[in-house]
Amino acid sequence: MAMGFSRFLALLGLSMSLLARAQAAPQSGGDFSNNPEAKKLPTGVLLVKGAWSSASDSVAPLPEGGRVDKNIYNNSYFGLTYALSPDWIEKFSGPPPSDSGYYVLAQIRPADTFKGTARGSILLAAQDLFFTLTPASNALELINFTKDKLNAEYKVEQPPALVAVAGHSFARFSYGSPVAELHWHVLATQIRCHMVQFVFTSRDTKLVESLIQEMDKMTLPAEAGPISGRGGGDVPVCIKDYASGENVMERAEPVFTERRFNPVPVRIIIDKEGKVKHVHFLSAFPDQAKAISDALSQWRFKPYLREGHPVEVETGILFGRAPRLAALPSTNAGTE
Amino acid sequence: MKTVKRASVLAFLAALFLPGIAFAQTDPGVQGGPARAGSPLASVNSSDGTLQFFQNGQARFQDIESVTNSPTGNNGLGPRFNFVQCSGCHLQPAVGGTGPATNPQFRVIANGFVSGSTNTIPSFITANGPTREARFPFFFDQFGNPNPNAPNGGVEDLFTVSGRSDAGSCSLQQPSFALAQQTNNIIFRIPTPTFGAGLIENVDDSTLLNNQAANANNNLGISGTFNHNGNDGTISRFGWKAQNKSLELFAGEAYNVEMGISNEIFTQDRPLPGEDMNKGLPASCLNLSGSGYPEDTTNFTAKAGSDQFATNASIPSDTVMFAMFMRLLAPPTPSTTTPGGATSIANGRHLFSAIGCATCHTTTLSSTQASNFTTSLSNAPVNAFSDLEIHHMGNGLADNVSQGGAGGDQFRTAPLWGLGQRIFLLHDGRSTNLLAAIEAHESNGSEGTQAELNFDQLLTSSQQQDVLNFLRSL
Repeated sequence: MAMGFSRFLALLGLSMSLLARAQAAPQSGGDFSNNPEAKKLPTGVLLVKGAWSSASDSVAPLPEGGRVDKNIYNNSYFGLTYALSPDWIEKFSGPPPSDSGYYVLAQIRPADTFKGTARGSILLAAQDLFFTLTPASNALELINFTKDKLNAEYKVEQPPALVAVAGHSFARFSYGSPVAELHWHVLATQIRCHMVQFVFTSRDTKLVESLIQEMDKMTLPAEAGPISGRGGGDVPVCIKDYASGENVMERAEPVFTERRFNPVPVRIIIDKEGKVKHVHFLSAFPDQAKAISDALSQWRFKPYLREGHPVEVETGILFGRAPRLAALPSTNAGTE
Repeated sequence: MKTVKRASVLAFLAALFLPGIAFAQTDPGVQGGPARAGSPLASVNSSDGTLQFFQNGQARFQDIESVTNSPTGNNGLGPRFNFVQCSGCHLQPAVGGTGPATNPQFRVIANGFVSGSTNTIPSFITANGPTREARFPFFFDQFGNPNPNAPNGGVEDLFTVSGRSDAGSCSLQQPSFALAQQTNNIIFRIPTPTFGAGLIENVDDSTLLNNQAANANNNLGISGTFNHNGNDGTISRFGWKAQNKSLELFAGEAYNVEMGISNEIFTQDRPLPGEDMNKGLPASCLNLSGSGYPEDTTNFTAKAGSDQFATNASIPSDTVMFAMFMRLLAPPTPSTTTPGGATSIANGRHLFSAIGCATCHTTTLSSTQASNFTTSLSNAPVNAFSDLEIHHMGNGLADNVSQGGAGGDQFRTAPLWGLGQRIFLLHDGRSTNLLAAIEAHESNGSEGTQAELNFDQLLTSSQQQDVLNFLRSL
């Protein structure tokens, strides 16, 4: 017994000394390295991210997960494929999703091998309608809002109107800058409660028209339309503010370890039993994502019923406590 | 015959390309002539004391600080520092500005501020290069490798007081700059100019949030956010990552970090991040001034004089007076005619907005709150060309330093007022060429890619030149 206790003390002493060694500041580390053979860090690589997008699993597609492959932009989340014109490429990827729900999906431009004389660009973007800073509840309202708030450098060339593209309804709107002699043509639809938009910019309206013609080769989900895109079918129904009021039967607040002030927009998918099946953080620090995930796993919702049957529902919750402006009054919201 | 043919081809090629080169857009460069900045705000005057406070702060901003027995300035320099005088680095084109053409950090040994027996001039400090501070994005591990799992990001002061006659037995080594360069574990920052800083300080959060909402849906791939003060959660706005809330905080931090002088906001001498993880600064390097802490304090005894306001101005600490000087500095005055002429500048201004630059570089924030300092700060437009938001600028500009809510690729939209007389551009002063600085706005992950593309690919050379002229008119 006495032997056992002394062995315990020896082990404890060894553990403590190892622990102390592990925690002690290095002799030649910190800011004072002296290793001439030290490994190099890669250049041009972002290693320290701030608030960033992440998800609770790697199975469910994410809006930012689209890619250009073999000259086709494919986005599983939006159920969208878009073939690029020959000699048009994505040279630079976009920034991460913003904390107001804005996504740069792809930025397309002519390749160096492009033979045409006129140049231009195609911006594929999305705005999560649950987190938009502007008072719009659908893509058409958002396009109308954009038109109403154009800055003084621009002139409206074609006011928003509905057009058919690839068998789906889009809101089309164009404006130009007389001084820059540039034209912007915007085509937007709505998918899973996001405005999904294509922005064509060029000096040459013929080039833009030809690019827009090529949009007819796109594939889109059945729900796509400037007002209609609210999920359903193979994907969850999307409902704004579903995680509120009587729909929430049980909830737990996240316990944050650090006091931060950034908005944390979160999209969740609630399964047919009312449990959170998937969490997508549009913008969160890792510790925030962990705390919110832990809390959301304890939330229970009233299952959403469609025609008497429970279906999966996707909604948004804004965590964090950054000052945000109250929604501005809605202006000139269009109708279909 | 062959020679003739070759000559014709060359002549044809020359005719084809040389005019393009001759008319290609170029950065008009730093604008000469009188400084377009450095004066106090219009309402600053001697009858209400604001002028005396401005002048007092301006003088202290130019004091050369010492470790002890300072003949002109304050005591308490070091034990680590980047320079000995605020205006050494904030001098272009006037006191309060940014780094000058001749780098004073390069001559610290020659000028006797630093001992050459204990310090060397790091290789990234050059005679005519930018004044810089250095940061190591990551700590080195015990094997001497930069450790990507151990973010650092704190300022690594360039020099130590060791070896100075007024520094006693304090013995400190400089951080491992050469190895940090060799391992890509170093980034730089240049001084931000402070002209018009009082206006930026006095913009209410709601104005910034309204501007953010107004610039949403820009069809340019831009969607920024704000950094926040960790104490009260309001929007912070000074520094390359908008990490500082107020001018007093900014001044206090700079006095402590850049010059090693503790003050009423940052009350201790600052060890390097790696020293702080260990045992801090050695006792032989503490309280070198012999006067205790903080080294910069309120002066309980006013300097007597016939001008009561001048007497009053002698009472606050250096930190308070640095902030007051910066707060009362007028914004730069742009030229309407140079470079390139009035038409080109006006056209460039419109183009700047049209192609999307002004989405982040907001031409005017309207307007400031009522000010309790001086009327020029009240209800005034802020023509800073900044939304004061932080934006993802991509891996081409990322420095892997996180500050507050800003990640390694996020930077505050740099205010562009005064750009015409700035020499070194971007956060690290990597370029003196405006075209290169614009080009740097596009890279993977940058919000600036689309606007840069509009400038670079869709404007004519003549339009690009107008934009450049406009920017150098500021």
